[in-house]
Amino acid sequence: MNFLSEYIYYIGAFSLIFIGLFIVLAKKNLIKVIIGLSIVDTGINLFLITLGYIRGGTAPVFSKPGLKAENMVDPVPQALVLTAIVIGVAVLALALTLAIKLYKHYGTLNLRKIKEQKW
Amino acid sequence: MVNPILLIVIPLGLAFVVPLFRFISKKIEKFIPFFALLANLIISLTLFPHVLEKPIHVSIGGFLPPLGINLVAGPLGILFAMLIALVGFLVSIYAFAYIKEKDQEKYHILYLLLLTGATGVVLTGDIFNLFVFFEILCISSYSLVAYFGDKPGIESAVKYLIQGAVGSSLVLIGIGLLYGQFGTLNMADIASNIHSVHSISVFIPLVLLITGFGVEAAIFPLNAWLPDAHSSAPSSISAILSGIAIEVGLYAIVRVVFTLFGASSILTFLLFLGVITLLIGELCAFNQENIKRMLAYSSIGQIGLIVFALSIGSLSGINGGLFQLVSHTLSKALLFLAAGYMIFRSGSMNISSFEGMGKKMPYTSFAFTIGAFSIVGLPPFIGFPGKFMILKAALFEQDILFTILVFLILLATIIEGAYFFRVVQTIYFKGEKSTPGQEREIAPLSVLIPVFIFVGLIVVIGIYPKLITEILESSASELLNRADYIKNILP
Amino acid sequence: MRKLISLILLVIIAGGIVLSLKEIPFGISKIKIGDYYIKKGIEETGATNIVTSVVVSYRGFDTLGEITILFTAAIGLSAVLGTYRKRKAGEKVEPPSFIVKTGCRFLFPILLLVGAYIFIHGHLTPGGGFQGGAIIASAFLLMYLGCEGKRINENTSIVVEVLGALTFIVLGIIGLTIGKDFLFNFLPKGEPNTLLSAGIIPVIYIAIGFKVGSELAGIIDHLIEKNQ
Repeated sequence: MNFLSEYIYYIGAFSLIFIGLFIVLAKKNLIKVIIGLSIVDTGINLFLITLGYIRGGTAPVFSKPGLKAENMVDPVPQALVLTAIVIGVAVLALALTLAIKLYKHYGTLNLRKIKEQKW
Repeated sequence: MVNPILLIVIPLGLAFVVPLFRFISKKIEKFIPFFALLANLIISLTLFPHVLEKPIHVSIGGFLPPLGINLVAGPLGILFAMLIALVGFLVSIYAFAYIKEKDQEKYHILYLLLLTGATGVVLTGDIFNLFVFFEILCISSYSLVAYFGDKPGIESAVKYLIQGAVGSSLVLIGIGLLYGQFGTLNMADIASNIHSVHSISVFIPLVLLITGFGVEAAIFPLNAWLPDAHSSAPSSISAILSGIAIEVGLYAIVRVVFTLFGASSILTFLLFLGVITLLIGELCAFNQENIKRMLAYSSIGQIGLIVFALSIGSLSGINGGLFQLVSHTLSKALLFLAAGYMIFRSGSMNISSFEGMGKKMPYTSFAFTIGAFSIVGLPPFIGFPGKFMILKAALFEQDILFTILVFLILLATIIEGAYFFRVVQTIYFKGEKSTPGQEREIAPLSVLIPVFIFVGLIVVIGIYPKLITEILESSASELLNRADYIKNILP
Repeated sequence: MRKLISLILLVIIAGGIVLSLKEIPFGISKIKIGDYYIKKGIEETGATNIVTSVVVSYRGFDTLGEITILFTAAIGLSAVLGTYRKRKAGEKVEPPSFIVKTGCRFLFPILLLVGAYIFIHGHLTPGGGFQGGAIIASAFLLMYLGCEGKRINENTSIVVEVLGALTFIVLGIIGLTIGKDFLFNFLPKGEPNTLLSAGIIPVIYIAIGFKVGSELAGIIDHLIEKNQ
């Protein structure tokens, strides 16, 4: 039980990452693969946020007097997540665009059927 | 002394300005990459002598490392920055006449951003910043592969994007694990905390980072995207992808393995990966009928050779690996540019359609031949000293393992020679004897100038390799002296 | 078969990561540079939101890279999708219901205001240029849903985008000439917790807000399919 309460956030974040990676590896439909990539991104963002957490900590914003610096969570992972989210959005937008174009060319999104380029 | 940050800021700023030119004149925009990269070339050349004496460190935002992000312009970084600026500059001249389709503006912006990303990766001293620039490089190359919007282009861009995105995710997990353990993102600061990679908590981030960057560097078994992407991109972009993008991926791996982790124990593994990559690349290239696919597989092979040389781990091995890297960049860019123009004229990527090109397009065929000879490693071209140095370094280890691997490399070189000579033979000696209807076609100057500058560089450095050995040697020692790197940044 | 192989592969990676996570206990303060940022952040940058001071000041170069990535994606997207399709007003689009129409018209200015508030107060409250920009873009998304036939002006959005990015770079270069470091915070820091504080941070965040807003709106605009 102790293990679970210690690591539950990591377990959650990595479950999301691995679910996403499994979708990317196993699914045939391009849209599902893109959803998988997006789940991986979410998992990574949760993982980064979890890294900086301190029990009972508050957000690192000195919005009112009386907030103590000792109680604040690490701001760096939050800044990294901000960057990671934007990167995720950029990749997602481009992937969806390519999916639109792919559908126009082939009339299908099944990646196993699209095999003009081969080894 | 100029600030190395300008190497990143000038092309970035100009890339942002390009969309405004639609309000003035559509004709200016294609000269923007030309001027930006010319500026980069000049800046990196002026920095070059300073760097040889002492690496330049620049902090950003007025915060010293490890608090702020810093740039490290060591010999290795400047070597890469120079290479990127040089190849980018020459290919941007080629693009004047080559890129005519669709919105040219977008091509030039993406092209400039790709090279900015590459420059950022090689200059930064912060692992997360490296990741950010790496993503700029990746995202712009996904879009450029799909630039024509035709069937093969879109399909290979999709493959490239999926594999690249998974790779970047792995890199990000690795960075997260490192930050969790060491509480810092500065590479020198992390490196000073890592003393051995034998503990599993350090080894896993190392594996994740190598795998993630390995996708872009096309190390076996992560290279499934490369032949498709390189063959269906516009030829000028293939030249950049083969000449710059893979090498930058390789730089990231080398930086992580040598500087960040100091992981000499993983080198034996990379040694085998390198040779396997080399053999697979050359064997696949041998079977190709499509010229650009053949060149792409040959790039995989060359990357394998470079990985092998770098993983020997001795000063002379790394030296040879870097020399081979420079030689591959110049020769492969030349090959793609020359082949691109021949494809443009013949209208087909099939090797058999090149029959009689030697008479129809004498200059371009001549340049292609020089590039092919150089890749195979014939003297007096630049490929010869590279391969020679690598083999010498490998045999110097005096190990039965290295002897076997050297034998395999020589075998791969023979295969390489076979398929390149086949193409050269097709160009010059096949096809019906000069039918009177076919007049000679001379390529436009904007194609011939960059192609012949490449030819000149290949011949000059091939005859006189001392020109670049000085910077290569100091780059190699920068990689091996991890303690110096840390001490320079964190006094 | 493929699923089995991928499962085995993932289990191996998962095992490795679990082993390495042992070194990173959860919920305990182990931060090094983060600690410094919290303690010295206000003094050094003047921003009461420490995350903002990290994003824009300490790691400002990352943020420059970040807006570049968004720009790259927007340009790449329009390059891949091909030429800008000019849809004629109300062409083959099912008209939205009265409630959607009124709701969107009602919410549109409010969302713009909220977005602007969030990016202007990025250095004081949890928020900033990216968040505010995303809200502004969602206002434009509502406009596409509710007001048929209206589109954003492509030229305006591009000019706003470019000016936003250029502001960032120009501020950085001014910092380089004045303070010898790129992105040096050369404006007075001011009194913490007031709107006019933290030097160049609010200026950069406002520029990013405009840029992200117009860029995301442009992406939405490009992705809207011709209804055929």
